[in-house]
Amino acid sequence: MKILEIHNIKKKFDDVEILKGISFSMEKGQTLSILGSSGSGKTTLLRCLNFLEIPDEGTITVNGDVLFFANTVDLRDENVRKNRRHFGMVFQQFNLFPQYTALENVVLAPKLEAKSKGEIVEIEEKGRELLRKMGLEDRMNNYPHQLSGGQQQRVAIARALALQPDILCFDEPTSALDPELTGEVLKVIKELANQHTTMIIVTHEIGFAKEVSDEIIFMDGGVIAEQGTPEQVIDNPSNERTKQFLANYLK
Amino acid sequence: MFTNVTLSLLEGFLGTLKLFSLTLLFSLPLGLVISFGSMSKNRIIKFPIRFIIWVIRGTPLMLQLLIMFYGPGIFLGINLWGSGDKGRFTAALVAFVINYACYFSEIFRGGIQSIPRGQYEAAAVLGLNKRQTFFKIVLLQVIKKIVPPISNEVITLVKDTSLARVIAFYEIIWEGERFIKSAGIIWPLFYTGVFYLIFSGLLTLLFGYIEKKLDYFR
Ligand SMILES: Nc1ncnc2c1ncn2[C@@H]1O[C@H](COP(=O)(O)OP(=O)(O)OP(=O)(O)O)[C@@H](O)[C@H]1O
Ligand SMILES: [Mg+2]
Repeated sequence: MKILEIHNIKKKFDDVEILKGISFSMEKGQTLSILGSSGSGKTTLLRCLNFLEIPDEGTITVNGDVLFFANTVDLRDENVRKNRRHFGMVFQQFNLFPQYTALENVVLAPKLEAKSKGEIVEIEEKGRELLRKMGLEDRMNNYPHQLSGGQQQRVAIARALALQPDILCFDEPTSALDPELTGEVLKVIKELANQHTTMIIVTHEIGFAKEVSDEIIFMDGGVIAEQGTPEQVIDNPSNERTKQFLANYLK
Repeated sequence: MFTNVTLSLLEGFLGTLKLFSLTLLFSLPLGLVISFGSMSKNRIIKFPIRFIIWVIRGTPLMLQLLIMFYGPGIFLGINLWGSGDKGRFTAALVAFVINYACYFSEIFRGGIQSIPRGQYEAAAVLGLNKRQTFFKIVLLQVIKKIVPPISNEVITLVKDTSLARVIAFYEIIWEGERFIKSAGIIWPLFYTGVFYLIFSGLLTLLFGYIEKKLDYFR
């Protein structure tokens, strides 16, 4: 069974159609990268998956359960809150909570659902383990403003992983970082890909996308212009817009 | 003489203090409620509240005190405040609470609206509900933002309490002025300034301490 199937997702803002019918599916353990020029709707698509926006049309199905069927959903609904839990989201701007330490950021949400003291101890142990995996062993008790951008983003990744989402989404995770800090974040994501974490990555790092992805989608003007393996889409694009985009990028 | 004056001024200051603390006690929570109203998506709530805030912030507190005290009698023909000192105090308190609640509500609104949308979105994708988002994520960040302007308002309130004497509310300046008539001396009136200074100095220290306590994050 597919872990994620989205069908004909459409989204308008102020009568302008931003997503014009997006459909794709992915297998568990896959890494899918989404490329595309600015304004093509990549962020909007991820926001729809995380229920930060409500699509106007379409369906979102996770593990065979239809989570979203257009016009039957109210964002305030408790169900939406549950459905969100299938997805994790790593933002371009990290969005860590400034008043909490790295570890507190990671364990905050899971702890709110803990039912016993023992469970809390377990959650904190798991949080430390996640931060260790992110190479932040000695930064766990630092506040976000005491961390570099790369470190903050790795905390944000740990925070998203702590809820064990089925699918982890990244929206340009390295775009807000100084060039010398992107490597440490990409390395962590690559590690996750090696461990078969199911991920959707919106990125402008084409070399990186080619390296980690099982599948690549190229978006243009609110539609999927091209989709395939990295070899197909990046090395032998067939779509004119893809070719143009890649040519601009290589320049 | 000095001791006598100090003691009676202290008594007057008790009136000041009473008005000050009860105003804070009621206007801070009321201000929070008003700020939610002024941010409401419902126009029927939002616009009347913004109108009231505009009126209250756009007119002198002294005028509001006079209208609050004399208004019910003149316009409605009712003796809303009862008679005597208690009535004056109640009228003054109500005017102060409304006035300060409006100022506080604007500070709260500014603080709440200054929280980046990303904080709410991060909370949402982590599955936090509205309540959890407000209390666990937003509140402390708002408090940190509003402590300095609130501190300003509170210190202004210390001094504003003296306005209540336009409706003959008994407070420290009233007491100090009394000595001009009764003993022919004016220095007790000037001496009241020391009380204000010490009290606002203490408040400055208190707010400085709170600000420092919240310094651990940015
Ligand atoms: N809330 C909104 N209201 C109105 N228009 C919006 C909104 N969000 C996005 N848009 C518009 O939708 C279009 C697509 O935006 P989106 O952020 O999805 O693009 P993107 O592919 O992520 O671009 P980038 O590479 O610059 O991040 C843009 O033209 C944007 O102006
Ligand atoms: Mg984007």
